[in-house]
Amino acid sequence: MTLTGEGLQPSEFAVTAARAVADCADLSLREQARHLANDGLLGVIAAHDVGGLDLPLALAVPVVAAAGAGLLGFPLMEALLLGRALQESLPRTAEAVVSGEMLATIAWQGSVSAAREGDSVVLNGWVARAACTREADCLLVRIGTSGAALVSTNSNGIVVEDAAGLDLAVPEHAVRMEGVTIPAANILPENTWSVLCSDANVLRAAAILGSAETCLTLAQEHASTRRQFGRALSYNQAIRHALARQKLGLEGIRHAITRSVGDEAGALQRDAAFLAAGVYGSAISEGALQIHGGMGFTWDVPVHRHLRRVRALQAQGDASGVLAALGRRYVGAIAPASDVTASR
Amino acid sequence: MTVIETEPPVAATGDLSGEAYRVAMRRWLRANLPASFRSDSAAFSPPTLPQSIAWEAAMYRAGLAGIIWPQAYGGHGRTLREHLIANQEIGALAMPESVNSIGKELAGPIILAVGTEEQKRRFLPAILEMRDIWCQGFSEPEAGSDLAGLRTRATRSGDIWRINGQKIWTSGAYRAQRCLVLARTGPLEDRHRGLAMFAVRLDAKGVRVRPIKSIDGRESFCEVFFDDVEVLQSDALGAPDEGWAAAIRVLEIERATNRMYRAWRFENELRHLIAACKSDPVLAQLVAERHYEVRLGEVVVDIEVLKAHVETAVDALVNGDRIGARGSLAKLHWSEAHQRFAALTLELLAQASLPLQPAVQVARRRFEAIYLQARAETIYAGTTEIQLGIIADRILQLSKGK
Ligand SMILES: Cc1cc2nc3c(=O)[nH]c(=O)nc-3n(C[C@H](O)[C@H](O)[C@H](O)COP(=O)(O)OP(=O)(O)OC[C@H]3O[C@@H](n4cnc5c(N)ncnc54)[C@H](O)[C@@H]3O)c2cc1C
Repeated sequence: MTLTGEGLQPSEFAVTAARAVADCADLSLREQARHLANDGLLGVIAAHDVGGLDLPLALAVPVVAAAGAGLLGFPLMEALLLGRALQESLPRTAEAVVSGEMLATIAWQGSVSAAREGDSVVLNGWVARAACTREADCLLVRIGTSGAALVSTNSNGIVVEDAAGLDLAVPEHAVRMEGVTIPAANILPENTWSVLCSDANVLRAAAILGSAETCLTLAQEHASTRRQFGRALSYNQAIRHALARQKLGLEGIRHAITRSVGDEAGALQRDAAFLAAGVYGSAISEGALQIHGGMGFTWDVPVHRHLRRVRALQAQGDASGVLAALGRRYVGAIAPASDVTASR
Repeated sequence: MTVIETEPPVAATGDLSGEAYRVAMRRWLRANLPASFRSDSAAFSPPTLPQSIAWEAAMYRAGLAGIIWPQAYGGHGRTLREHLIANQEIGALAMPESVNSIGKELAGPIILAVGTEEQKRRFLPAILEMRDIWCQGFSEPEAGSDLAGLRTRATRSGDIWRINGQKIWTSGAYRAQRCLVLARTGPLEDRHRGLAMFAVRLDAKGVRVRPIKSIDGRESFCEVFFDDVEVLQSDALGAPDEGWAAAIRVLEIERATNRMYRAWRFENELRHLIAACKSDPVLAQLVAERHYEVRLGEVVVDIEVLKAHVETAVDALVNGDRIGARGSLAKLHWSEAHQRFAALTLELLAQASLPLQPAVQVARRRFEAIYLQARAETIYAGTTEIQLGIIADRILQLSKGK
């Protein structure tokens, strides 16, 4: 099935995405881009004008979750977000991203300085946690404390460092920029960047949901087939309770995501979904590894691949910074108690 | 009888829905909840029983109890979504717990599900009007987590049942008119087959109630002894032998929907804690440090996840989905998150500067009580270990076999 029309259910997205992700297993990045684009998966939230489906973020959730579950080695979240972020100011680029002709990525950490020179802007600085930059055509980077810039990766002055990070399927790169000149039109306003970051938190939670769900399934399967002391592991209450806690965490992630894309949701709900996903997702994947025993520590059992991805996503979204900022905003918004009635 | 002066309910609240309904409920609660009932107020003094009864009856008249019960039985005939809205508003205020939550959230729904028409008309309005306060007689000395091991026996002769046995941990039995008793009609070996439910009057001959002092120094739960207590067939709820099935069915929904305000009360507590800290020079500085920003941020995330459990469960029920054992998830998450929070309140407030600010004194009084009461939250309504077992058995359906 190719996703083209209206009235689609999240479950249909999940099915299409799961199949497409499986098909991508042996393809190169560029082939994956075209394959995913053919199935309509790169333009779920982008406007019709640039070839997208113009659907709400909620429908990107099952797509990214399926990518997480299938350990897709493609910067899907970045493509989804850029297709929409660029649709106003750089529609041609957005169209190329949505159609899979152009590989685009985002540097989630660090920022660059920007100096205007006529119709151009010159960028200097370090950024990092940019997925698949080595092969990407363009890269979105944060400028100082306001806005972002889209940079072509073959520009002069760009140095892409060696891949680093825990995630094996999606390598992350640090990028040095020395006097990189870009057209002024490639600058995106602050609002576009902040919406993109907030949506990224929901999609990271979705990716973690996919990984966590897979880990729990693997752990559950192992617990019911592996026998010790003459019985399946799942006979033991310690194992049953450990799995039940993993299930509690998994449903917590799922419901927090559902709530974060609801009508009344704001930044708090989105941050909470991401943070809950990070905490529960790590606990679930680490717990799944434990239930596998020595098998869990082997390269071949895929639990570690999910664990790596969950931890990478947590760091990429700066979970501890987001948590502290959330606490700070929350504390800051509450007035000191007067002695009559403390909390209104 | 104590009279609490409250405004009449907003005219024709029946026509309101959504945000308008929320605003009406919020206005009424904020205008009418006495300051002395609010545990975040310096004027707080725990309400007496008659005061609680009068307040809860007024809440009912204002549309804040029996929200989803049919109008024929005194209810307001509203939707579960409106029940959620009302509970969000109830939770947002530091209000005392209901003295009749067993009536409103357990006995009532069971009677609605299995009661006869006559029972519905007799029992349900009396619960909402606070004429009948109920307690729950399930646990026994030998039957706690293993409820199916209960021994209290009900034997029938003609139209009369005789009940013999003992219940324990029966919250509020000393102040209740009726006890929802789960008793055995068949042999002990039948386990959960052969259990029936009864609405037993606590002033009946042969009933003896003995309060037990709990860790907070209060006498809140009781032992209840039944010595040849006569109960009319008209007070038997549902068919004998169907007691367990009825109980489980109702408990499923109850676990997911009862005390729906919890998440929002939790938030009210967090806001109160922060407000109190900010009124103290030392604590104000502490909560602005990264360590406590992170710790308080974790509480915020816990609360958001709890709200997500509750709201998505309401959506599922409204869409007609079976709720199954899902209530165990919310109960487990809430009870543990609330305990973590309660410990954090003690830790923070212990660091207050001297002399104690009035707001810190108010907060300490409230949170010390909450800390102690929270210890029970992982015990009652099914312990943590039992909830984990339910999730493993019924949601994950893990094999127990060889
Ligand atoms: C404040 C409060 C109010 C209450 N109000 C009421 C009420 O109004 N009406 C009423 O009927 N009951 C009430 N209860 C009783 C409550 O439901 C029981 O305490 C509860 O079900 C546990 O039973 P128990 O106390 O016999 O503990 P036990 O069942 O003896 O359990 C003791 C410990 O062993 C653990 N355990 C038990 N079985 C297992 C197992 N299979 N695997 C692993 N661990 C296990 C438990 O989790 C617990 O930690 C109340 C309890 C409290 C604390």
